Amino acid sequence: MYRLARLSLVLAAFSLSACAADAAGKNDSAGEITITEFNAPVAQPSGYFGYGQDASVEEIAGWDIDIRPDGMGLPPGGATAEDGEMLYEDQCALCHGSFGEGVGRYPVLAGGEGTLSEDRPEKTIGSYWPYASTVWDYIHRAMPFMQPESLSDQEVYALTAYVLYLNDLVEYDFKLTQDNLALIEMPNKDGFFLDDRPDTSNEACMSNCKDPASIRITSAPPATEEVDSDVVEASGAEAASGQSTYEQACALCHASGVGDAPIPGDASTWAARIDAGREALIANALAGKGQMPPKGGQIQLSDEDVIAAVDYMLEVTAN
Amino acid sequence: MASKTATTAQMLQRISDEGQKLPQAERRNFLKNGLLLAGSAMTGGAISGKVNAAEENLPPNVPAWTRSLGQGVLTNPYGKPSRFEGNIQRRAVPWLTADRFASISFTPLAELDGIITPSSLVFERYHSGIPDIDPDDHRLMIHGMVDRPVILTIDDLRRFPSTSMIRFLECPANGGMEWRAAQMDALQFTHGMLSCCEWTGVLLSTILQEVGLQKDAAWVLAEGADGSHMSRSIPLDKAMDDALVVYAQNGEPLRPEQGYPIRLFNPGWEGNTSVKWLRRLEVGDKAWYQREETSKYTDLLADGRARKFSYVQECNSVVTFPCPEKPLQDKGRYEVAGLAWSGTGKIKRVDVSFDGGVNWRPARLKGLVLPKALTRFGLDWDWDGSPAMIQSRAVDETGYVQPTFTQLRAARGMSSIYHRNAIHTWRLHADGTVTNVQIS
Repeated sequence: MYRLARLSLVLAAFSLSACAADAAGKNDSAGEITITEFNAPVAQPSGYFGYGQDASVEEIAGWDIDIRPDGMGLPPGGATAEDGEMLYEDQCALCHGSFGEGVGRYPVLAGGEGTLSEDRPEKTIGSYWPYASTVWDYIHRAMPFMQPESLSDQEVYALTAYVLYLNDLVEYDFKLTQDNLALIEMPNKDGFFLDDRPDTSNEACMSNCKDPASIRITSAPPATEEVDSDVVEASGAEAASGQSTYEQACALCHASGVGDAPIPGDASTWAARIDAGREALIANALAGKGQMPPKGGQIQLSDEDVIAAVDYMLEVTAN
Repeated sequence: MASKTATTAQMLQRISDEGQKLPQAERRNFLKNGLLLAGSAMTGGAISGKVNAAEENLPPNVPAWTRSLGQGVLTNPYGKPSRFEGNIQRRAVPWLTADRFASISFTPLAELDGIITPSSLVFERYHSGIPDIDPDDHRLMIHGMVDRPVILTIDDLRRFPSTSMIRFLECPANGGMEWRAAQMDALQFTHGMLSCCEWTGVLLSTILQEVGLQKDAAWVLAEGADGSHMSRSIPLDKAMDDALVVYAQNGEPLRPEQGYPIRLFNPGWEGNTSVKWLRRLEVGDKAWYQREETSKYTDLLADGRARKFSYVQECNSVVTFPCPEKPLQDKGRYEVAGLAWSGTGKIKRVDVSFDGGVNWRPARLKGLVLPKALTRFGLDWDWDGSPAMIQSRAVDETGYVQPTFTQLRAARGMSSIYHRNAIHTWRLHADGTVTNVQIS
């Protein structure tokens, strides 16, 4: 039911100067001013305000993308891991690796079974996720990272099947459908329990709470040598707009070379591109090419920013 | 002042850059082996702030700004801080995440006073970057187990009765880098996924009441309009209690970083549930088990089981002065300062120890003591120049006492990532510098 929240608090507006240094808790005792912090509006019956417009079935269908563990929300369709293999290589392997092993710090998708209680648990779809529905939901909702919601429902079925296959949860030719997805049992489905905190109980002891001789430093960040301040200041001052745009918009792929993005400074991958000429490179950066969306997916960038970033990459490569 | 600022900035930059120089494989070991840091660089200019003043501006001389006209009105129509405060910045730890789009930056807590975090300095957390949303083209859809599925504009939302509340916002991963070992020698990086603002909007209960809930309604799915379509299942009890659909923060429209034009805000709960760029609320009878409430934002324990729907940010505190960014300058009298907060209510008391937890002294609670809000505490202290182990320990109105690290690890192991609210220790050295340690 609607709960009328009427919280009040005691404000010790003028009591602080009167408090002795150790007078915690006395704030409530001197100079009290009771103020009302917030009043929830009075509960009203449904339809009282009448704001907004009714949401049509079509409007809801365009945005209602969530899938529940019981399969609610799944669209009609079905596909096998085999159907998803090439698509995975094209759309996912850049970041997640061909076997779901993860590239750099991007998420590992497969493996790790039986590691959850080990010192270095590996939480993957196979080892940790409780429901297969979440895989379908998340691929559809948020992947590919740079172009979410660009996959068809069939493609999402295919990729879900393939990722489950990478985790040995379905066969290569198993056809995953809206009818059987909810029936797939994930290995860690019983691994979760509801919040039962507080799970600690400390006491507010005030004196001689432990033996001073028992205190040891168990860890500390290791100290390092003095910073050469001239070097640090110089490198900070050099930051150019081309570089900052590069770091903000381009480095996601160009720093690691995913999707065949040429890495600044790697002359061999740049040679053919430099031959094509600066104008062509700028045109590609603005319009997009191959895996690269227009302006690297950062549509709010001005053309000048993008050009400066291209020049920055060329400059780094030339040097 | 210039040299002091540069030195602190260099230290923080160095801490955040250090991992980038390492090969990929070694970056992961950073979490185990700890992080190199520039604590020693804090000596010199940083400690003696007074050496930087220019004589010609000090009495009996009269500085130039007192003998000339300043800038006129509308020099900065939306305002900006003094150019001498360039050191006050959000900062990131680049090696922490794979890219800048699904990443995080930290609030510079050491530089802030009071309990309100300026909108510009609230930590950032994105899963797909910041969408650039035209509010005229933004809609909030409410559907599912409701009597009247509805689509609201921002203007519609602003017509409802509004509510304002001052509440903290904290990422549950705050301090998560420190589960295994102390490794970040800066308050900004040990506790900076934390902020507190005045939030204004419409109580979610008002909206749900308006559309009419059906009999078996028990959960609300909140979803964002960013590329990640960030989504979390919220129990109806919370939705009908104090959850707020927010359009303003500290008196101004929400910042794009914070969900412009609207976001959900769940007071006292882990920040991830306060879905930004809110576009959709679906009412249902079961939880959805989205990626961010299964794969992420669940707390793995030592036995391999994991706690789910662990929403509340439990009682926590930290000393903000002194800290690595704010060392002591000399022996003498200081007001030790800090922040305490609890997702279950008001802070009742805070105690401070200077000997690593053997003896404790009660601190003063200062200014407003609000439920689920940052609360300032302070304590006068005479420093005799001896090394010290400084800790704070908060107690909230439920009687819950902030745990020691030993207690928290005993309960949860080392792999929980989230909800690390243990008593924090700063090691004060004889030269006034402060470093991060964990102690037995």
